[in-house]
Amino acid sequence: MNIYIAAKYPFLKEAKEFVRREEVSTEEILHDPLYQRARDLGMQRVNEAIERGMVGNYVTADETDALMTIFSYPIARMIVAGIGSDFLRSRYALAEAKRAYSSLIKEDNDFVSGMAKEFGIKVTDGLKIYFTDYLKNAPTWSEKWKLVNMPLKNGWVELKKVELARLIQENLRRRLYNELLDLRPPASIKKVFGDDVIRIKNLMQRKEMERKVEIGKASISKFPPCMRQLLAAAQSGVNIPHVGRFALVTFLHSIGMDTDEILRLFSKSPDYNEERSRYQIEHITGKISGTEYKTPGCSSIKTWGLCPVEKMDDICRKVSHPLTYYRYKWRSKK
Amino acid sequence: MNDFLKKAFQSYYLKPEISFPERFSRREYAFIFWGEKQMVRHISFKRREELLSILRRRVPMHAYYSSAYYEKPDAPTMNEKNWMGADLIFDLDADHLPGAEKMDYGEMLKLVKKELQKLLSFLLDDFGFGEKNVEIYFSGGRGYHCHVKHPEVFQLGSQERREIVDYITGRGLDAKDIFGEKVVETKRYGEKVVPIKRLEMPRPDEPGWRGRISRAIIETVKEIRKGDKGIEKLMEYGISRTRAEKIMESLSDERIKRIEEGLLDQSPEIRRFFLKSAIDEVAVSLSTGKPDEPVTSDIKRLIRLPGSLHGKTGLRVQAVKIDEIEEFNPLDDAVVFGEDKVKVKVTRPFKIKMKGENFNLTPGEAEVPEYLAVFLVARKVATF
Repeated sequence: MNIYIAAKYPFLKEAKEFVRREEVSTEEILHDPLYQRARDLGMQRVNEAIERGMVGNYVTADETDALMTIFSYPIARMIVAGIGSDFLRSRYALAEAKRAYSSLIKEDNDFVSGMAKEFGIKVTDGLKIYFTDYLKNAPTWSEKWKLVNMPLKNGWVELKKVELARLIQENLRRRLYNELLDLRPPASIKKVFGDDVIRIKNLMQRKEMERKVEIGKASISKFPPCMRQLLAAAQSGVNIPHVGRFALVTFLHSIGMDTDEILRLFSKSPDYNEERSRYQIEHITGKISGTEYKTPGCSSIKTWGLCPVEKMDDICRKVSHPLTYYRYKWRSKK
Repeated sequence: MNDFLKKAFQSYYLKPEISFPERFSRREYAFIFWGEKQMVRHISFKRREELLSILRRRVPMHAYYSSAYYEKPDAPTMNEKNWMGADLIFDLDADHLPGAEKMDYGEMLKLVKKELQKLLSFLLDDFGFGEKNVEIYFSGGRGYHCHVKHPEVFQLGSQERREIVDYITGRGLDAKDIFGEKVVETKRYGEKVVPIKRLEMPRPDEPGWRGRISRAIIETVKEIRKGDKGIEKLMEYGISRTRAEKIMESLSDERIKRIEEGLLDQSPEIRRFFLKSAIDEVAVSLSTGKPDEPVTSDIKRLIRLPGSLHGKTGLRVQAVKIDEIEEFNPLDDAVVFGEDKVKVKVTRPFKIKMKGENFNLTPGEAEVPEYLAVFLVARKVATF
């Protein structure tokens, strides 16, 4: 692998090999003036993840540039691990994964399938992947990605290049997040990046605090029966199906709740995993996917078996969309 | 009455034919004993002989094991058990079947069999499981269980399992994208050029649901064309006579030819009818024996122990080979008891064909073979 490709994908084995070949210690990387540029870039990776939700693609004009970019990646990871905020870990992992995706879609099929293989995704015959790997990595809560809408044959799902790249993004995000959880950063991180570490730590703490603000805004008594039922299920810890969660999240988002407020409602679900739930919610609400999914209408909700027909009321019979129901109730109260 | 059944079960459990699950000692076992409501669970066995001994000595009414395997299968809570993996289980049951209560037992099971065949087609063709990875069991009650034992599925979580259920039931199918629009010709009206569009059907050999829908539509067209009973055929799909006549009217020879060539008219009637009938034909139907969904996605459920007896029928939970499903008759093949005559008191009129023999029972005392006596008493049609 050439060094420029390694700089684009610094999480690959080959890229780590470049770091190893330099035979420098962690302390040298953190202190030697030779690596000042790598340290700056590392900090930049973290800042961009926080500010833009995506790490930038850095220009690598020559081999030194490329090598510094490669080094900036482990440095950024040490900074994130050193700050120790779960919010930051999630956000950084996602930001790196999205950057990788934006580069991957410009590569050819062989390169993309090669990377899938390195990540343990079973690939055959060009861009076909095994369905269990598909299920583990695809955002199946959106209709477009449901397995039922994919070409599945003999256990293999045939994908387009961008689709496989999207699965790699998810796989990388999860992998990176877990690595960050296990990473024990050297104590000197706080000395080297002192001011920035404190600044980011405070910022993250503020974000965590904001989560504790009361829900209040949404008035549950104005929810249609389907949403009331889904919400009750989520709050009492009953496991609700994917599509149910999707419908509820889009609904709650449309009536003005933000990610943290929605998250709190889900926190009692038995398979609750804050990091994953946050990702799902932010995907559905368009914060990270760029697509703001709309609340499904009554016909979809019925198809999914989520409409509690026996609890339908007069308003239900007048409207064909849960949001219309909600707005109708608001108006009639005034 | 329990004593009679218990004694009969005991005679079977002296020499039972149990198929022991793989990872035998990692599974949780559970039993319901006669006269007890509470299930006894969180039991594990190191050796097969221990399980056989419980069956022999305690003679359970129902016996179960966990689809999951655990580090500590006998721990009292799920957390402490430490989940390691689970088989993928589908449960097809006549319970939700419309009109099932009016059907006799044999008819009911035949309907479930049809769903089973659809399920198998999905598992073998789309999911690519080998026949050796798929085991079919008659449940001893009103349906069939299908166990998928493939190393790639053990670790799947419940969301992923639900996706598989959605696949075989067609839930979430994006029907509007199945037909593409295609301009087949253009017409000129003076200055204006108007494109004539048709809906393009997926090709029959396409993978996944698209190909299945296409094949089902072609099949339906053939069905309707056979003879002149088209309207009746349409009505079989639950369409009213008026609507059926309307559809038949619009199915000109020219149109049918187009459909076989893969183009569907944009006539909403036609499109709606074919799509709906195709989906119904392909999906493992929600109304007739749907795989009990919480069951498949539940990664720690209990299932009947193959080879044990079902306490409400006395029939055996019986393995069925895939190529023998058609011939399998539970009222023959899952019967374990003998011919010895037993006196019972029949409480309501009851007709059944068991072991190839027709019985037409009227209330009152009757002398019947033991296998029928067990079945009748277990189903509460007779007392002992």
